[in-house]
Amino acid sequence: MSDYREEIIDHYKNPRNFGLMEKPDLEITEANSSCGDMIKIYVKKDGEKISEMMWQGVGCAISTAAASMLSERVKGMNEKELLALGDKGVVEMLGGEVNLGRINCATLAYRGLLKAFEK
Amino acid sequence: MMNVEKIRNDFPILKRKIKGKDLVYLDSGATSQKPESVIKAIDSYYRESNANIHRGVYELSVESTRMVDESRATIATFLGARFEEIIFVRNASEALNLVAYSWGRDNIQKGDAIIVSKLEHHSNLIPWQELCREKGAELRVIEVTESAELNLENGKIEQLEDKGLRVKVGGLRDLIDDKVKLLAITGVSNVMGTITPLQEIIKEIRKQSLGVKVLVDGAQMVPHMSVDVKKLGADFLVFSGHKMLGPTGTGVLWEKKEVLEEMRPFLFGGDMINEVKLTGASWAGLPNKFEAGTPDIAGIVGLGAAVEYLKKIGMDNVRQHEKELLEYALKRFRELSDEGLVTVYGPENAEVRGGAIPFNVKGVHAHDTAQILDSFGIAVRSGQHCAGPLVTGFGVMAMARVTFYIYNTKTEIDYLIDKIREVPKVFI
Repeated sequence: MSDYREEIIDHYKNPRNFGLMEKPDLEITEANSSCGDMIKIYVKKDGEKISEMMWQGVGCAISTAAASMLSERVKGMNEKELLALGDKGVVEMLGGEVNLGRINCATLAYRGLLKAFEK
Repeated sequence: MMNVEKIRNDFPILKRKIKGKDLVYLDSGATSQKPESVIKAIDSYYRESNANIHRGVYELSVESTRMVDESRATIATFLGARFEEIIFVRNASEALNLVAYSWGRDNIQKGDAIIVSKLEHHSNLIPWQELCREKGAELRVIEVTESAELNLENGKIEQLEDKGLRVKVGGLRDLIDDKVKLLAITGVSNVMGTITPLQEIIKEIRKQSLGVKVLVDGAQMVPHMSVDVKKLGADFLVFSGHKMLGPTGTGVLWEKKEVLEEMRPFLFGGDMINEVKLTGASWAGLPNKFEAGTPDIAGIVGLGAAVEYLKKIGMDNVRQHEKELLEYALKRFRELSDEGLVTVYGPENAEVRGGAIPFNVKGVHAHDTAQILDSFGIAVRSGQHCAGPLVTGFGVMAMARVTFYIYNTKTEIDYLIDKIREVPKVFI
C-alpha cells in the first residue's frame, strides 16, 4: 500500500485550503469520468500568478490529498511554472509512486487548475 | 454438481501471484478469465490453420472457414437459435450499435418511443439516446426500486429534456402505449446483479404495443445462465464473448431471421456482398450480410471453445454455483453491514439476482477500497461501472463491486470479507 503514505492520509483527513472562497477571480469545475468525482476549484490571481487556491469536492484519498497538496504548492506560480510541474510533478508530490489506474485521481485537481490560464 | 477445484486447474492465470498473494479474481463481470482449452484453440488456430475465410479454394482456407462455421453452429445450438441468425461482432456494444444504426434508423420515427430501464449499461443507453434525439422520438426509462429491481407498476413520473431529447422516467405501466417501437432491456444488471423479469415485461409490452421489437442485453446473462432464444420471446439478443470465457474482441448479435432479412447492412465491404458493379452492389445472404471484412477468426474459434467448455459444465450448474456463492457472500456481507462497516446495494433475494454485489465501505471511496483490496491480491472493480445514472441514483458517486464466476469459491469470499475489515484501518 505504498500509495497510502502517512502524508497522504494526513492531507486526506485534514485537507488544506478546503472550502468556499469569497469572491474568487476564477471558479473551475473538473470531473473524473470513471468514478464521477468532481472538484470545484477557486482561484485568486495576482497579475499572472496564482495567489490563492481553495477547493471543494468529495473524492478518494488520492484525489483529495493531491488537491490539498497542490493548493499549498501552487501559491505564487505562473502559467509556465504550473505547466512545468506536469503530471509527473504531481505524482512526485504524492511520493513518487501512483498506481497507473489511479493517475486520473491524482491529477484531477491539477487538470482543473490548468484551466485557470485558458484564454 | 461442479468440481470447482478441477475447474480452477483449467485456468492458468489463477496460479498467478499478485503482490506476493494468491490472485482472488472477483471482476468477471468486466471480463472473465480464460481456460486452457480456449487459449489452446486460439494458439493452435494460428499455428496450424491460419488463412482467410470464404472464397479460398485451398485446404487451409477451407479449414478456417469450416472452423468459423463450427463456432457459429456451436453458439447457435447453445442458444437454441438458427445458424444464420448468429452474427459475429466485436462485443455487445457493437451489436447494440449495429441494431441502432441499421434497424433503428429505418424503423424509429418522430413521435415514436423507445423503452429502456435505469439498470442499463451505458452501451444499452447511449445508442438509444442518440437515436431518439436524431429522430425526435421519446426515450422512456423504467425506474428502479430501492432494492434495484424494476418498478413494473405505476410510479412517480419524471419528465426531462436536454438538447432536443425528451426523456420520461416512471414505472413500466406509465410507459407502455402504442407509440413504443422498441424495448431495449438488460437481462441481468452489471452493477446490481438484478435479474429482470423479462417474460413478464415482454408479455405486458406485446399486449399493448403491437409490432414492438424487443432487444435483450445479455452481456451479464448469457455467460451465467441457460438462455434459449425460442423461450426468451425477444427479437434481438446481444452479448460479449470475453465475459463468457472467450477471447476479447468477440461478441454476438442474435436476431430473428425475419428481422435480419429486412434490415439493411451496417458495415459495407468485402464478404458481405453478392454481386458488385461500379454502380452498386447486392447483399450476401445471412449471416454474411452483417459481417463485412475479415472477422476475428482466431477469436471466433476461441469463443467456440469457450461455449464448448460451458456446455460441458452445464449452464444450470453454472447458475446454481453462482447462486450458492451469492447467497453465502450476501450473508457474509450482512455481518459487515450489521456492524455498520459497509453499505450493500441490490436485491436481497438470490432468486432474482446474478453474481454481482456492489458495496461501499463506510467513509471510504470505492477507488481506495479497490486499491487496498488489490494490495491483498483481490481484484474488484470500482467506479460507476458504465451505469452512471443507476449508481448516482443511489446517492453515491461510486461503488466497489465484486462479481463471481465458475472458478470462485467460498474460501475466496471469506478472504474478501476479512480484508474488507482491513480497509478502514488504513485511514485510522
